[in-house]
Amino acid sequence: MRNLAQILILIGFMASCPLFAQEGKPGFDMEFQKIEPGKFLVGKIEIECPSYPDTRDVPENVRWTEKDFKLCEEMAKRDSRPGFWVNISESYYLGKFEVTQRQWKTVMGFNPSIFNADKVGENSDLHPVDNVTWEMVQAFLTKLNEMDKNYHYRLPTEFEWEYAARAGNDALLPWSETREQAWIQQNDKGTTKPVGTKKPNPWGLYDVLGNVWEWVEDYYNHDIFADPIPPTKGDVHVLKGGSITSDVTNATYLFHGGGPGNGYDVGFRLVREMK
Amino acid sequence: MIIFLSSQSVFGQQIHIPEDFVPLFNGEDLEGWHISRTNHHGTVGNFYVKDGAIVMKQYPYGQGGIILTDKKYRDFELYLEFKGHPGTNGGIFLRSSESGSAYQLELAGDGENGTGNLFGEMLRTTINAKAENIEEVWKKGDWNSFMIRMTGEIPKVSLWLNGKHIWEAEGERNDLIGDLTEGMIAFQLHWSATLQPIPGGRCCDFSWRPEAAHSFRNIMIRELKPDY
Repeated sequence: MRNLAQILILIGFMASCPLFAQEGKPGFDMEFQKIEPGKFLVGKIEIECPSYPDTRDVPENVRWTEKDFKLCEEMAKRDSRPGFWVNISESYYLGKFEVTQRQWKTVMGFNPSIFNADKVGENSDLHPVDNVTWEMVQAFLTKLNEMDKNYHYRLPTEFEWEYAARAGNDALLPWSETREQAWIQQNDKGTTKPVGTKKPNPWGLYDVLGNVWEWVEDYYNHDIFADPIPPTKGDVHVLKGGSITSDVTNATYLFHGGGPGNGYDVGFRLVREMK
Repeated sequence: MIIFLSSQSVFGQQIHIPEDFVPLFNGEDLEGWHISRTNHHGTVGNFYVKDGAIVMKQYPYGQGGIILTDKKYRDFELYLEFKGHPGTNGGIFLRSSESGSAYQLELAGDGENGTGNLFGEMLRTTINAKAENIEEVWKKGDWNSFMIRMTGEIPKVSLWLNGKHIWEAEGERNDLIGDLTEGMIAFQLHWSATLQPIPGGRCCDFSWRPEAAHSFRNIMIRELKPDY
């Protein structure tokens, strides 16, 4: 009886999985978090200069002069930007985790990751898939959308990604908090890490910062930040969130990266919609 | 295109003089180079060509970045000439990843303390080296030549400054993330101010003087056949 109960529970669990339960492919377990509408500020630059005077014990020709400070203030003012508001008018469901190697293998039948089991020295099923180009992700999405009868999947837009990553925070995270939430540069050579093993952000998303860079839908505009209206064409796509090769300065929700990235630290998460 | 170098003008007499170096930079534009869009020092920079040199300045103020060769290299001899303003910090990256995880040769301003040291950038290295007494060969306010030889999966690196052999170092393992065995040549301009203030953190420092520049010219390479 006990075994039968376990089997029934297992069947019930598989049926509740939105994906592939009907396809007879257990183990595909992508979880999504509902993100409520709102607005947020994008592209604000607020540069500061060091405090006058320069009291460092350095050679005379290295020490900043009054002229240097003045020039710094002028340049900081010149390059700062007020940013612009972005409205997220409808709720959406964003992956709680980066897409894993097991999920990729389930859909595609192979694992492109550099940080596979051989490299990480353990089962890598729960590590994020890496070494995927934006085009490979599109091929993954095509297959996934054919397989799932109920839901449609796509990459988030950069604004959807950043809005959810910020989780209502207008300011940058303190660096100590970034280290709590993100797998960034490690003490030794470093590998990717199983998803969901750091602290989530306040909206329940894991690894938005660090672990692997994440592809988003948008083309890259070759500028410091996104434009209010993203470009409709381009040569590479935007990467967000930083990775195991990042530090606290680019594993931020505002960092506006672009492809190709390193490969071994490039992955993605998905948005899910009703068909 | 092959460039023939004379032993006297470039390397002095301390080392064997290779004659088949290939230019990495055409002196006119940035063909063959690209800016990293994932580097934590910055993604835009103000990098341009002037008077036959790659000039690197910050843009926006406080943000730097790296400029990389399009091609990857494994074992090589790299020759270049560098000029830097005092009060700046950058580096020459060896076997760099696209985001700038690399073996780094430090460039501290105009031959300031630290110039010529070898360590990791976004990388924990077992190969490290310190350049001692470089003031004996450094020409202040002028171009200074670097010759770097890098070989082996477990790397062995040698540095010559203005023709003088400064150090030779050897690692204990391949330090590159993912155990890669090749990477790009890159030049780094260090960030000195964040795009926005960091709560509880530092905003900015003196590591890059306003309007200061690092310049590189006569950049050329000879690829060596790996012995592994």
